[in-house]
Parts: sequence; C-alpha cells; structure tokens
Amino acid sequence: MRPFRNSVRFAAALLATNLKASLRLRGAFAMQVIFMALNNFTFFVFWWVLMRRVPEIRGWRLADIELLFGIVAVAVGLAITVAGGVRYLGQFIEQGELDTLLVQPPPVLLHAVGMRSQSSGFGDMVSGLILIALSGQVSWIDTPRVVVAAVAAALVFAASGILFFSVAFWLGKSDTVARQMWELVITFSLYPEPLFGGVLRLVLFTLIPAAWVGYMPAHIARHASVGQLLLLASAAAGYLGVAAVVFQRGLRRYASGSRFGVFG
Amino acid sequence: MNRKLMVLSKYVAFARISATHGRYDRSELYGRMAFFVVILGVFSSLWGATREAGLAIVADPKSLVWYLASTEWILLSAPLMHVDVQEALRRGDVAYEVGRPVSYVGATFAQGLGFVGSRSPLLAATAFLCAFAFTGWVPPWRALAAVVLFGSVAIALLTALHLAIGLVAFWIGEVTPVFWVWQKLLFVFGGLMLPIRLYPPIMQRLAAFTPFPDILAGPASFVLDGEAVAGRVLAVRLAMWCVATTAVVQWLYTRARRALTVNGG
Repeated sequence: MRPFRNSVRFAAALLATNLKASLRLRGAFAMQVIFMALNNFTFFVFWWVLMRRVPEIRGWRLADIELLFGIVAVAVGLAITVAGGVRYLGQFIEQGELDTLLVQPPPVLLHAVGMRSQSSGFGDMVSGLILIALSGQVSWIDTPRVVVAAVAAALVFAASGILFFSVAFWLGKSDTVARQMWELVITFSLYPEPLFGGVLRLVLFTLIPAAWVGYMPAHIARHASVGQLLLLASAAAGYLGVAAVVFQRGLRRYASGSRFGVFG
Repeated sequence: MNRKLMVLSKYVAFARISATHGRYDRSELYGRMAFFVVILGVFSSLWGATREAGLAIVADPKSLVWYLASTEWILLSAPLMHVDVQEALRRGDVAYEVGRPVSYVGATFAQGLGFVGSRSPLLAATAFLCAFAFTGWVPPWRALAAVVLFGSVAIALLTALHLAIGLVAFWIGEVTPVFWVWQKLLFVFGGLMLPIRLYPPIMQRLAAFTPFPDILAGPASFVLDGEAVAGRVLAVRLAMWCVATTAVVQWLYTRARRALTVNGG
C-alpha cells in the first residue's frame, strides 16, 4: 500500500510542478489555450454547416455531435495535460533517454508520462466543456457521470498512446507511425458511431480504441446504467493494465543511451 | 543567358537534394497515405448516410469523395516550411545561410518544391486509388487533368505561403499559433471538406476576399458536376495570389534580414 501511496503523491507533485512551469510563461500559456480552443471550434464549423442542411444522420443530431466532440476534447485535453509525456515516449525509448528515470525511485512509466504537460490541453478542456454545455444533452445533475465518462476516456486515450509508442522497444524508430496511430484514435472518435460497421467497428473497440474515447463515454454521459458505467471503467482499467504490462515487458529490452544531456 | 542558367541550376540543386531526402525518409509519407485511406473511408460512409437521409447535399456523394480526395491531396502535399525556417532561426543556422551566394528564401522555397516533387505524385496516386476504391467511379479525365494542373500550382502557392509564415519567426520566434490560425482559416474558407456553395452567404462572401478558395476548392471543384469554376478565371486568380505572395515574401525577407543584422544574428 505504501509504494502506491508514494506513487500517487509523486504523480500529484509532478503535475503541480508541470502546471507551475506552464503558468510561468503566462503569455505563451494563454496563447496556446486560446488557439487550441479556436482550433476545435473551427473543426466544428464543418458539422454546423452540414447539419443545417441534413438535420439527422443515422439518428445523430447536431446536439449529439456537440456532446461527442465535447467529451473527446475534454478527454484528450486531460490526457495531454496530466500525461503529456506519452507523446514523447517513443523518442525517450529510441534515444535512450529513459536512463535517468531508471535510476530514480518512482515508477519509470509514471515518471515518463507525467513529465511534459502540454498547455494546449487546457484549450481542449475549455472548448470541450463549452461544447458539452451547448449540446444541452446534460444538466448539472449529470455532472458526476460526465466527469467519470471524460476521465475514463482520458485513461483509455493515454493507455493507447503508451501502447503505440512502446512499440519502439521492439521496432526502434517508430515514432511517426505511433503518433499517427494515436491521432487515428482521435480522428475516428469524432465521427458518429453508426458510420462504421463490420470489421472496422471491431477494430474501433479493440486495436484503435476510438469507441472507448468517443461514443461510449458520450452515450454514458447522456444516460447510462450502472452496468454501462462499470463496463467503461473496466475498459479504462483494462487498457491501462495492458499498457503498463507492455511497457514493463519492453523495458526489459531497453538499450541504454550513452550520451550526456539534460533531461526534464 | 548562361549566367541566368547558372543561377537557376543552384536552386535546382537545392530542389534535387530535398527530393532525395524526401524519398529517403518515408515514414511520414506512409502516415499521410494511411490518413487518406481513413479520411476517405469515413467520408464515403458519411456521404452515403446523408443520401440515405433522403437529402441531396449539392452533388453526387461519389463526386464529393473525389472532391475531398483532391483538397486533401493539395493540403497534404505542401510541406510545412514554417517549421524549417523557425528551426533554422532557433538553431542560428540562418546567420550563415544568408551569407551564401544564393537567396535564402529562394533556396528554402526550392527545397520545398523538391519535397513536393517527391511526395505529391505518390499522394496523388493514393488519393486516386482510395477515391476509386470507395466510390467505384472515376471522374472524367479532363476534370482530373484540371485538378492536377491547378492543384500543382496551388501546392506551390501554399508552400510559398508557409514560407511567409515561417519568416514571421524573425520577429515573434514561435510561429505555431500563427500557423494554427492560418490553417483553420484555410480549412473553413478553403472548403476543405465541403464545397463553398454550402456555406452561409456571409461566409461565402468573406471567402472570396482570401486566397483560400482558390487554393483548395477551386482546383478540387473540377470533379463536381456543374460546380467547377471557369479554368481561365481560376488561372488568373491563382496567378494574382502568386504575385502577391512573392511580393509579401520578398518584403518580409528584406525586413527580416535587416532585423537580423541589427540583432547580430
């Protein structure tokens, strides 16, 4: 129990340090937040224009898509703010930059993913919350359910990133491919679920877990049974568990770097 | 004449080296190809669903998939020159590059075109194959030829505009936020996913004052039945934006070089 408590305290301290570092450059921080929020709203213009002419696509209305976009934006924002290091995991592995983490007491994975907070994540979260509010699909009473759905989606998204980038332990330089796979999770999660069928649907619930980042959390945020909430929580825990195991397995194959450098 | 050819050969050499680099490092290219498969697959399904809803949007769903393939081809073929300029400035490489017996912007633009030369044909082939696989239909060859011709000019223009954004780094250092805004304006006013005609009238009027529709929607509209702009009009508008962009790049570079001298590099 004690190592777990220490890890939680370490993660909290790491997050606080990252936030302080981000807020130190206030101008850059504000710029990143504003532009990322604008970026998300601009993407939404497509749906706004399309659904003025086609009010319903296979049962999905504009409000449903707003909720979907909102949940995904909050989840992605949360993941890259709290676990911004996931994006650099492939680079750390390939260039031997995990050396300094291996000799320190905290768990290597926790340290690596918690190291680089992305300020733009706040912009994602802000725009996501605005879209959720605009959708009119959830009320204040639903807030705990929305929070659970968004946190679970963020965990699945971060776990999928750890899985994709951990491939570098076996294949070496695979950063670009892993990054594009991770982006595919976002791409697929932003479109209505009924557009996908057959084998692709199966892929979206397993290999590219867009369904657990987008549709399922959005559905649960709107109306969910205890069973569905448990299913989503289990999926998040499962993906995180698999990601941790894969990373630990990969760590056994890790080849140390020999260069000197500053890390952080 | 020989002197002009000699000058030109320097830039051709820059383009060739860049094309060789582009051919060597293919991981990003494969990623872009995979993106084509995904996005065209998603949109062919989306347009199919809108037809099921019994609402014709503006054109046949098949030609809308080809429209998206054309706009994405133009967008994905243009290299992100602003990153190269920004990094060269950050590393201090610009200080010695401006001293070479070639124009810095000319050489950087030539490198961009070399990169386009190595990537664009492969991306065009991917777009063609994916659009055909998802629709089982091919637009008239004349329309495709027009897309390739005007699209190639649009890619060169987009490359030059990315270079102009990169030059802004001489004053503000980090140009990523500027690029984000630019890119989003291009997506919206360029008609990346939907033809401009579907937009509210106010947005259509605003778009007409920008280069965005001439870069994306103009060349891509040739695959839409009855939607294509007149080739001559598009040619004139593209030429106008090319001249304007050249002037802006030249002006920015002249001022940037002064700033570099004053600041000491």
